[in-house]
Amino acid sequence: MRAMTGGSERRALYAGCDLGISSAKVVIVSNGAIIAGETLPYDNFPHDAADAAMQGALRRAGLAPDTVVPCLATGFGDKAVRFAAGTAPHITCLVRGLRALNPRVRTVIDVGGHTMRVTNFSGEGELLETAFVEECSGATGMFLETIAQALEIPMDEMAAALNAAEHPVRITNTCVVFAESEVISFINEGYSRYDVFAGVIDGVASKIGGIARRIDLVPEVAMVGGVAGNALVRGTVERHLGLTFADLAGVHPQVVGAFGAALLAGDGCLDGIAEGRGGV
Amino acid sequence: MIVAGCDVGAVSAKAVVIADGSIRGSEIIPVRPDAVQSATEVMGLLLRKLGLSYGDIDRCVSTGYGRGVVPFAQDDVSEVSCHGRGAHWLVPGVRTIIDGGGQDCKVLCVNRRGLLRDFRMTGKCDAGTGRSMEIMARSLGVDVSEIGPLSLRSTSPASLVESCSVMNEIEVKRLVVEGVDAADIAAGIVRRIARHVRWMLDGLDFEEDIAVSGGIAKNIGVVKQLEAMLGTRMVELPADPQLMGAIGAAVFASDHLSGCA
Repeated sequence: MRAMTGGSERRALYAGCDLGISSAKVVIVSNGAIIAGETLPYDNFPHDAADAAMQGALRRAGLAPDTVVPCLATGFGDKAVRFAAGTAPHITCLVRGLRALNPRVRTVIDVGGHTMRVTNFSGEGELLETAFVEECSGATGMFLETIAQALEIPMDEMAAALNAAEHPVRITNTCVVFAESEVISFINEGYSRYDVFAGVIDGVASKIGGIARRIDLVPEVAMVGGVAGNALVRGTVERHLGLTFADLAGVHPQVVGAFGAALLAGDGCLDGIAEGRGGV
Repeated sequence: MIVAGCDVGAVSAKAVVIADGSIRGSEIIPVRPDAVQSATEVMGLLLRKLGLSYGDIDRCVSTGYGRGVVPFAQDDVSEVSCHGRGAHWLVPGVRTIIDGGGQDCKVLCVNRRGLLRDFRMTGKCDAGTGRSMEIMARSLGVDVSEIGPLSLRSTSPASLVESCSVMNEIEVKRLVVEGVDAADIAAGIVRRIARHVRWMLDGLDFEEDIAVSGGIAKNIGVVKQLEAMLGTRMVELPADPQLMGAIGAAVFASDHLSGCA
């Protein structure tokens, strides 16, 4: 606990920016608690996406747009975060964030827009085993989005789509390019797009489960990343693995990395790094 | 002599009428639930437009996915053969055709009579197609039509090493994050596509002249890169590449009547 020296002291604010391959996430914390966050999907111009996410988070926090909040960047595009004073590896941020949200977590399954990674760690946060897929998008959000688009099912209608499925098909291709042809063939054969989509969800969940099982799934297991925000996929992965994912205290699984980065910034990770931009 | 070609594909159905050595008219419609209906509708539309009836057509050849069931055709020929024959009929010096569309890319070689010698097609993988270029252009933040001109301004082309177009998308984003110049990234994209075409050509014993058609022909960057790689000029085919199969089918019908085939 830090001693408060007087009523006029400003509360200490820290920010974390997780710039992934397909979305920018910013979280602002005060005394270790999230006060605001912003998630912005992007197709291009990652530098601008990070700026816009920070502006969104400041607005939600009721702060002026020119407020300087010490920020740690992480993720695929950490170098493109112009307002960051430092960077940290994504897994370090994830583990830091998870330890704050639920100290019982020992394994994290991170499924983002384009990559997937599973890691277990000790009670002290020391990394033990890792398995990841970076050369294939077969078990990622991009796969789901591409197929949902091919089937003309909006992402927010996925739940209804799954309920409408009667005889789910079995999708055998894990490559999104091949799978797109495969789902179109199913449609041409007369299957309903709901049956095809149910097959796709099950295929993705089974692939995520398969990669996750390459390491010891030490309980509790948390699922994070953009795909973890999809309750359907999360539930299907739980069924495939025969477990229930750890509670994350109501924090959206997509922002755990940004949250961890903000906590690390507050831990003093930025000490000794020049304040302001260009400190990396 | 009036001949017709009818190409019933997986997505669209095409009909072409050739009279006395020149194209009289053409029609393209989206496919109907069955191939017979697609063929009958597209040919019916074209004949009405031209004021002709089935009795006026001396011979019709069908091609494409549904070629076996076209009720008014006297013969059917494979789509790739028709594509080659049609291209050669349009530009008689052509021996090699590169057709890069949105969803697939094919290269074919014909002999001096326009008959197919060999060909390569992208299968399920979309590397080298217009679609993959669109995805990479989006990651760079420019329209796909700007990639070609932009690439010509490059001084130090970026290298895209992945073979999968999904992974190329991530590569492009990584180059953007690293601050690589947009022209250099565009040049990398152009080289990636050209390299794929070159790789398809490598399996063939190809000869000049080489023609390009489809979306790829509209990309000055890819065309120039291919010309540099192959050491030869490219000609552009003067017809909608979608119609090439139907044109070739009609030409085969004409060949038959002239006793050439």
